[in-house]
Amino acid sequence: MLDPSHVGRHYVAPGQVIDAERVAAYVAAVSGDDGAFSLGSVPPTFAAVYCMMPALAQVFADPELGLDLAGLIHVEQSFEWPAPVLPEDVVDASAELAAVESKRGLTFLTVDLAAVNQAGETVCRGRSLLLIRGGGR
Amino acid sequence: MSDPRPPGEVRIGDELTPLSRTVTQEQINAYAEASGDHNPIHLDPEFARGVGLPGTIAHGMLDMAILVEAVGRWAGAYERVVELGCRFSKPLLPGETITCSGRVVAVDPGTATLQLEATSSRGERVLTNGRAVVRTGD
Repeated sequence: MLDPSHVGRHYVAPGQVIDAERVAAYVAAVSGDDGAFSLGSVPPTFAAVYCMMPALAQVFADPELGLDLAGLIHVEQSFEWPAPVLPEDVVDASAELAAVESKRGLTFLTVDLAAVNQAGETVCRGRSLLLIRGGGR
Repeated sequence: MSDPRPPGEVRIGDELTPLSRTVTQEQINAYAEASGDHNPIHLDPEFARGVGLPGTIAHGMLDMAILVEAVGRWAGAYERVVELGCRFSKPLLPGETITCSGRVVAVDPGTATLQLEATSSRGERVLTNGRAVVRTGD
């Protein structure tokens, strides 16, 4: 079960390929019935695909934490993009548990995210605030 | 990209063109596929109700993607968006229309800071505390 002693745990999800077809599918999904809108580049929030989801998947696979992705509520999200993300880039995503706080039976988990490209440049930093209902299994 | 926008004369108080989009369950399903986020609160109404939601809800990251599209349309290039953040205050439900809006609250050499929000057609404030930093130079 998640508790403050887990702060500082680090997780890696290396080798995330920025695949042009996945970018196109993402843009189409975001656009819905309005028709795909593209500025000819990778949308900033595609960070959900190459950074946030794979890194969080590692957090949720940690048996020490006993977290269940189902029912998780995303409370806040921020990103910075210090350098552009380009199709065919290969990035290493990572996550670090930054804070665990309990309030009225609810557990809030803060996760710091990062993605570094094949040239060693940080292309994304992020912070997710997640609500874990009931404090985990 | 050598897009001339945003205009050289960005001023405090400049507003984004509001972007409205009706989000269907089919779109939420497509977003789950495209993003790899298959949390059943987005896909399974019975599961969603079981955790106290009115039914399935759109992914917060889908709402945020529509928000950054509004910013990107104003900025003229996604590469200009260097920071983005928001709070997922209220869920967007399938069939509802989200409207994203924002305005410039600070202008600094080379960047502009925008305050952003999104509301639903039900009148809920879906995204709050929205903030973006956009490069205006080069």
